[in-house]
Amino acid sequence: MSNVIECKNLTHYYGKKLVYENLNINVKEGSILGLLGKNGAGKTTTINILHGFLQPREGECLIFGENTQNLSPITKSRIGFLIEGHVQYAFMDIHQIEKFYSGFYPKWNNEPYWELMSKLKVTPKQKISTMSCGQKSQVALGLILAQEPDLLILDDFSMGLDPGYRRLFIDYLRTYAKAENKTIFATSHIVQDMERLIDDVLIMDYNRVLAQSSIGDFMGNFKQFNFKLNSPGIDLSKEDFVVNLETTGKEIELFTYESESFVKDFLKKNNISVDNFTEIKMGLEDAFIGLTGKY
Amino acid sequence: MYKSVFYKEWIKTKWFLILLSLIGLLAVGNIFLKVQHNITFNGANKYWYLILFQNQLYFKSLKFVPLLIGLTIALIQYIPEIMDKRIKLTFHLPINEDKILLIMLGYGTFGLVVSFGLIFSFFSIMSSHYFGKEIVDAAIISVLPWFLAGLAAYFLAALVILEAIWKYRALYFIAAASFLLLFFEGGIAGSYSPVNFKLIILTLLISISLIFSAYRFRKGEM
Repeated sequence: MSNVIECKNLTHYYGKKLVYENLNINVKEGSILGLLGKNGAGKTTTINILHGFLQPREGECLIFGENTQNLSPITKSRIGFLIEGHVQYAFMDIHQIEKFYSGFYPKWNNEPYWELMSKLKVTPKQKISTMSCGQKSQVALGLILAQEPDLLILDDFSMGLDPGYRRLFIDYLRTYAKAENKTIFATSHIVQDMERLIDDVLIMDYNRVLAQSSIGDFMGNFKQFNFKLNSPGIDLSKEDFVVNLETTGKEIELFTYESESFVKDFLKKNNISVDNFTEIKMGLEDAFIGLTGKY
Repeated sequence: MYKSVFYKEWIKTKWFLILLSLIGLLAVGNIFLKVQHNITFNGANKYWYLILFQNQLYFKSLKFVPLLIGLTIALIQYIPEIMDKRIKLTFHLPINEDKILLIMLGYGTFGLVVSFGLIFSFFSIMSSHYFGKEIVDAAIISVLPWFLAGLAAYFLAALVILEAIWKYRALYFIAAASFLLLFFEGGIAGSYSPVNFKLIILTLLISISLIFSAYRFRKGEM
């Protein structure tokens, strides 16, 4: 399968502040990639570069083989774009906005749009500005689906949505993407939403990439072990195999890519006495916090 | 695509264009009510004398009307584009970014030209009804820069509004305000005769300045 998105050696600064250096991202056709990171880690910067709204200091991003700084209208018509907060032309009603967009896209198919609109309790002449966040999200999603894009770029799609709408949004999107072999690049600050949606994960921290793999590999390889440390004055956080360590008194949460036997052997070899050694089953949100730290 | 862009701009501006054009026409109507009043109570000869030899401008109240219309249309058209950085939606449409801005600008310019055309025509017709050719010609030369100022204000307001950084926005605003003063230097009726053509050229030159703000936005100056 070919790459729909290829970002090579992206480096960007805001003034003198480094956002990231030599970032490489590949998104394969038909896959759903979730970009996760704390606030300020560079998620929106990446989205802006992908859309050509920001020129990286170094490196380049290609979408369908075209540099994102100069996307042709044909390539843009193949990309569905959801702006953070489901921003749309709020001065229009649902009929006006559908009529407006339909004039731009040759493959326009209003069926999924009206299917979603039929679920909303809005009046035909109601302006989008007067709708709830959830209703706005459905309008934005419906418009993107009607466009029949090959790639969907969704910037913080869960922002402002209540749990019901978030679930509706994700389920509808995943079903659609898999049925139609669409590629999705998504960010969300609600990590648990991503677990239901994505195939691949890219986790960023300030200035660096912490993880980039399929969601299955990541969740299978990244582990949490909890135990009570009996030996005082031991600092495990400097060990190579320790990705992150959270300490509350003698209670330790250790995050690593190593196996249970590896960690136990290490503790035994170094005469470190522990009690209640347990592997904790993590969700994506736990793993994200485990990897990036609580602070 | 052109139809869709015009449709969006029409949704934003239609009521304001209609209302502001009506206000302009009412302003002209009001001018000629006063003209009628002066002719009736002071006599036509005396009133013509005041206009011809005492530099009385019977149309002075029209001075800032086109400016107000141009600025309002720019605000109504471009503020919704920058709120929540909605301009990103516009730039993402499958059409060249500069081209779509020029279509939007073309719509606004067309709307203003129609509105100003109506007001200007009404003013010219009414002036011809009450005054002789010499007075009408001088009046037309004098009001023309005000209408040009309306267009220039529209173009410059687009530049200021689409600029994403407040510091630059303030600088553009000061430069724009200084430029617009050129259109309101005053003087006797007809005094703009030697410079009107130059003002038309200057107005045309600044007409696409919004492209610069949009370019800066696209390069990440947010």
